[in-house]
Amino acid sequence: MGRWWLRPAVRLVAALLLPVLVPAIITALIWALPGDPASIICPPESCGGTEVLAARWNLDAGPMAFFQGWMQAALEGDFGKSWRLMQGVAVAELLTSAVPNSLLLIALALVPLSLGSVLTAQGRLPSQADPLLQVVGLVPALVLALMAAAVVELTWGANSFSTQGGLARLLAGALVLGLADGALSGTITGTRALFETENKQRYVGVAVLRGERRLANTFPNVAPALAGQLRARVLHLLSGAVVVEAVLRIDGIGDLLWAGTLQQDFGVVLAAATGFALLSSTLLVVQAVVEIAVAWHVRRAPDLGAVAGGEAR
Amino acid sequence: MRPGGRLRWAALAFGLACMLVLAVAALTAPEHLSPPQLALKNAAPPALPPLGADDRGRPLLEYALQGARVVALPSAVAGLLVMVLAVGGGLLSCVGSGKANTVIQALGEVVGALPRMLVVLVVALVVPRDARGLMPLALTWAVLAAPGAMDEAASVAQRLGGARFVEALRAHGYSGLRIFGWHVAALNLRPVVVRQGAEVTMQVVFLEIALSYLAVAEDQPSFTHADSMVSWADLLKLGYPAIVLGEPTLHALGLGLGLVGLVATFALSLGIAARAR
Repeated sequence: MGRWWLRPAVRLVAALLLPVLVPAIITALIWALPGDPASIICPPESCGGTEVLAARWNLDAGPMAFFQGWMQAALEGDFGKSWRLMQGVAVAELLTSAVPNSLLLIALALVPLSLGSVLTAQGRLPSQADPLLQVVGLVPALVLALMAAAVVELTWGANSFSTQGGLARLLAGALVLGLADGALSGTITGTRALFETENKQRYVGVAVLRGERRLANTFPNVAPALAGQLRARVLHLLSGAVVVEAVLRIDGIGDLLWAGTLQQDFGVVLAAATGFALLSSTLLVVQAVVEIAVAWHVRRAPDLGAVAGGEAR
Repeated sequence: MRPGGRLRWAALAFGLACMLVLAVAALTAPEHLSPPQLALKNAAPPALPPLGADDRGRPLLEYALQGARVVALPSAVAGLLVMVLAVGGGLLSCVGSGKANTVIQALGEVVGALPRMLVVLVVALVVPRDARGLMPLALTWAVLAAPGAMDEAASVAQRLGGARFVEALRAHGYSGLRIFGWHVAALNLRPVVVRQGAEVTMQVVFLEIALSYLAVAEDQPSFTHADSMVSWADLLKLGYPAIVLGEPTLHALGLGLGLVGLVATFALSLGIAARAR
């Protein structure tokens, strides 16, 4: 108990470092590739003026100068311009349209997961359904996304890229993300295992005998672990979002990352990866805050050991 | 034999049969697809046994074999790597090294802080075009999956009693190999380790299919194999228009989905086979 602050502190430090480390590693990798970065954007055999390009993209002064320049601009909201995917278009523009869609997709995908988690915690989902859920969870995101894309295209036809069609793609994508790759089954079995272990604790039995609710007693103690599971689940959804957004043609950060990778557009990948790192950092901060809140709540509770010791004296 | 025992043996037999089929398919895969035969365009399996033809009259059997070659070795290596690391995590927990456990947990926190697909795509981005293949991506995926597997194996070892369990067996005069190799790893860690390894094997196959499909859909070369090869994703790409446009390629879609299902069943069966009695 004395070092309760260690884990949240580590998470907060990691949350601060991630958005700097990720672009730093990618920058290092750009220079680690064979050939100079400017000739990756525009191979000399297919276009001239590589030196001019290198100067324009700030690639001529080495990795440190590039990284410092990129970070300074990024802190002001300027993520540079696309190198290949949409040459010359500001990456910030691409991110501005992509990030909200991805956040909405993840939020919608979390609805069935949260429902599953809450119902399991309340003991309303029978464990007999677990094998079926696990079998459904074996289906990969790509297969479910293809099925969803087919349904949307067959239902909406030429209008599948209209506003309503776009909404249908988003909802279908969220459903796919929520079900595929064991997302729902993992959430339910994880929550069940957590509460089953906690319910075996002696204090829970005593609380039930005193007429108190089981969940009200166990929840504060399992909250940090639940927050950890939630973080892992959202990271899992972010990972799957790359496939789902690309297949269902949802203009999100996952699709942007995929397109940038495919086109070797380091400008886009750098920004999209930093966006992912920022989202991951936010999750780390949320988990750290939950851990701090629970530790604070527990420390506020009366020290029964001390009370009992006092009475004995 | 008890019903549970029969199920485990059946699952083991199925899992081993799948591994054998995958290995044979990978070894017998042709270097290149056959030349087009337009007369056999989209031929159904009865017209060109055993699996039919693609939109240029080339046998789908070659797609299945080449796809097996693309995934067989990298997915097996990734699965084995995770199994070895998971056993290591479990054994460290039994040795009672608190510092090592803390380091593993910290490593897991750092490695698991980012979405796996982001890391895989960054690795795919920096692998030179002529060195592209599934292996680096599979190893990356395995390294990212390993901390979770190690953590689960360590939990199993802790439930077993950890260092006290080892101490008790030492008191019986057992050798280190017998304690760690047989009692800890083979008897107690086996269910978790084999399931984790099988799951990672399956995930690597699905990763290949996903990455290849997304690349093929954009008419771009895949990150996971040479341009001369095709993967199981090409079967899905070939078969998808059967649903949306009604093209006569349902047999390709069926084959692609069947292979995906086979891989999932393979992973499930290995998990069942390794369950504790």
